[in-house]
Amino acid sequence: MDFNFTREENEFREEVINWLKENLPHNISEKVRSYKRLSKEDYEIFMKKLSQKGWLAINWPVEYGGTGWSTIQKHIFEEEIVKANAPRIVPFGLNMLGPVLIEYGSKKQKEFYLPRILSCEDWWAQGYSEPGSGSDLASLKTIAIDKGDHYLVNGQKTWTTLGHFANKIFCLVKTNSKCKPQEGISFLLIDIKSSGVEVKPIITLDGEHEVNEVWFTDVKVPKENLLGEENKGWTYAKYLLTHERTGIAGVPYSKSAIEHLKKISSTIYNNGIPLIKDPIFSSQIAELEIDINAMEIFNLRTVSAASEGKAPAMESSLLKIKGSIIRQKTCDLLRKAIGPMALPYISEQFDEGWNEEPIGPEYVGKIAKQYFINRKISIYGGSNEIQKNIVAKSAFKL
Amino acid sequence: MHFNLSEERQMLKDTIDRFLSDHYGKIKNHHENSKLIEGFNPKIWNESSSIGMISGLISPKYKGLGGTGEDIMIIFELIGKYLCVEPFLSTGVMSSTALSSCNINVEQLMDDIISGKKIISFAHSEVESRYDDSYVNVKATQRDDFWYINGTKSFVLNGDQASVLLVSARINGDTLDENGIGIFKINSKDYEIRPYNTIDGYRASEITFNNVTASLMCKDEIAYNCILETNYAAALAVSSEAIGIMQKCFDLTVDYLKTRTQFGKTIGSFQALQHRMVDLMIEIEQAKSSVMLAAGTYESEKNIKYRNVSAAKNLIGRVGKLVAEECIQLHGGIGMTWEYNLQNYAKRLIMIDHLMGDSDHHIEKFKKFSKY
Repeated sequence: MDFNFTREENEFREEVINWLKENLPHNISEKVRSYKRLSKEDYEIFMKKLSQKGWLAINWPVEYGGTGWSTIQKHIFEEEIVKANAPRIVPFGLNMLGPVLIEYGSKKQKEFYLPRILSCEDWWAQGYSEPGSGSDLASLKTIAIDKGDHYLVNGQKTWTTLGHFANKIFCLVKTNSKCKPQEGISFLLIDIKSSGVEVKPIITLDGEHEVNEVWFTDVKVPKENLLGEENKGWTYAKYLLTHERTGIAGVPYSKSAIEHLKKISSTIYNNGIPLIKDPIFSSQIAELEIDINAMEIFNLRTVSAASEGKAPAMESSLLKIKGSIIRQKTCDLLRKAIGPMALPYISEQFDEGWNEEPIGPEYVGKIAKQYFINRKISIYGGSNEIQKNIVAKSAFKL
Repeated sequence: MHFNLSEERQMLKDTIDRFLSDHYGKIKNHHENSKLIEGFNPKIWNESSSIGMISGLISPKYKGLGGTGEDIMIIFELIGKYLCVEPFLSTGVMSSTALSSCNINVEQLMDDIISGKKIISFAHSEVESRYDDSYVNVKATQRDDFWYINGTKSFVLNGDQASVLLVSARINGDTLDENGIGIFKINSKDYEIRPYNTIDGYRASEITFNNVTASLMCKDEIAYNCILETNYAAALAVSSEAIGIMQKCFDLTVDYLKTRTQFGKTIGSFQALQHRMVDLMIEIEQAKSSVMLAAGTYESEKNIKYRNVSAAKNLIGRVGKLVAEECIQLHGGIGMTWEYNLQNYAKRLIMIDHLMGDSDHHIEKFKKFSKY
């Protein structure tokens, strides 16, 4: 056991910090810091820079263009990009589809798709959830009928994050309805520009457009776009869940949020004393900070064990549950900290180029919005209740 | 940064695990410990010395084989697993830490600790001191070349078996002053002692001194530092112990959920109970991580060391209560009985929050050392 970073690890951190200083455009980090709406280009500019440096696919094997970094290096990298207010690395192609393609894709598919993910030529979306299939994903209804050289796809996907920026979508579709639901699912790679695909916005409770519905009406998908074998899609979908995901607990976000919380709590006064000195409020901050510090170690030791070949399926679920609760708690305390200043809501404040005087300190405008939208963290990616079912099944063998 | 035990530590861990399993594995119910005359089993204590379990708690500076935060964590997690009542906390951790913080030659006493020859108790708490490190009302006065101690110390762990007491006493100043405290050594048995069992199976004593002669080990800044060091070492030890206990409570409960049937099926098949078990699992992992952080940074500068131990002790207090209460509840009636061993683990787990500062005490300490 050693909790010190090695000299090499510290040097690596310096290298990442310096690289970000020189390569992350200031106007983009400023937009992220002030919670401005990001354009597709904002994401792409940053990801392309990472790609040129060879730092985009941190979870891929080196032979496919991955970094070959250790667990600790990945952790440092993820922490520093959050600290630098970089846009998030869009995960659908890189961290979801990429590993599945590498494991199950044909040689031709790998040669075609992987470089296009790395170069940001393709922006992938995830087509899993449907209006009638959330937690019970295997009950999905989108159907793909075999038409010889192609499948004919009909149905609807939903909660498609940033689908309005995507040109490709990987979908779970039903190819056999006469068997157990899990055994009749296939994994299809679909071009969003195909005739019959329609992307419609869903506006979430914070007034923002990030997720979408994607409709499929008689969409022709060439047979070569089937990933792996027909009716084996469920295996590939599950592989996504068990694949090493260092970021699932969102520790860098929680760490940066609690730093922010502590900073503003020394400037906000309650009965004449700063909140950070208020016995009740400061204890809530302190307990959360203790939880975050523990979570960081929990996360690191899990991913370290994973990098030594111990499958972290169950631990990923534990990290997801606790990580989401902790992130939500940071938002909750930020909301409480600013008191009545949580109420003013000026949507234009989050548009690029808005130059008016904000109401109250600049940072308060986003806090209630963030609190509400981050209720999603315990719902998406398999709700916390589903994660508990997964753990109970594998851990207790009840 | 890495989280694996070194080969030597893994060996130490395996050896102690086997040793404790041999001695404690047969015990069906730990309440039997309360019948031990000494409050612990002297045979186990002496043998533990020969396998290096005591020296594992003591630095090579004093001819020990360990003494780092990581060693304390490993050994005490196992102590928790087997609910071992020998004086590892009082003598192995507290007194050895106090002695090593006195800045004087203590080699002979350390040798006696390592060899298992002497029980030495650290007498600091008083009836009204609660968790204050600086609360010292027992008085020390100097006449001619001798020091005399007057007053009552409370909750002296293994005090009845101790051949040496290390006593904090006030030389000058007010009850709560950090300055003006001395640490004294008492070799005689010239004091009134009232031993008793604790609700969690340990033995402690109330000790009253009437003009008892003592020798001064250290005073003022060094003495206060000695108290802090001792209490923090003990806080890390019992936090680690709690990890072993929580895991045991959890395992007992999983087993029970798999065997107990109601409504025609095992109660573990009910989702409401499964989800509560997963919550426990998460919190135990969190608590374990927090203790690892405290143990792994125990050799850092004091602010970081105390900050991380306080964090761990706070989280242990919160999670320990959850685990003890939930495991009793998930067992139902059987969890309420004297005969079922869970009760011993649950009691110790709850009582650990009453030792060396509870979760409220340590949240304040955490804030202090984090410069809130």
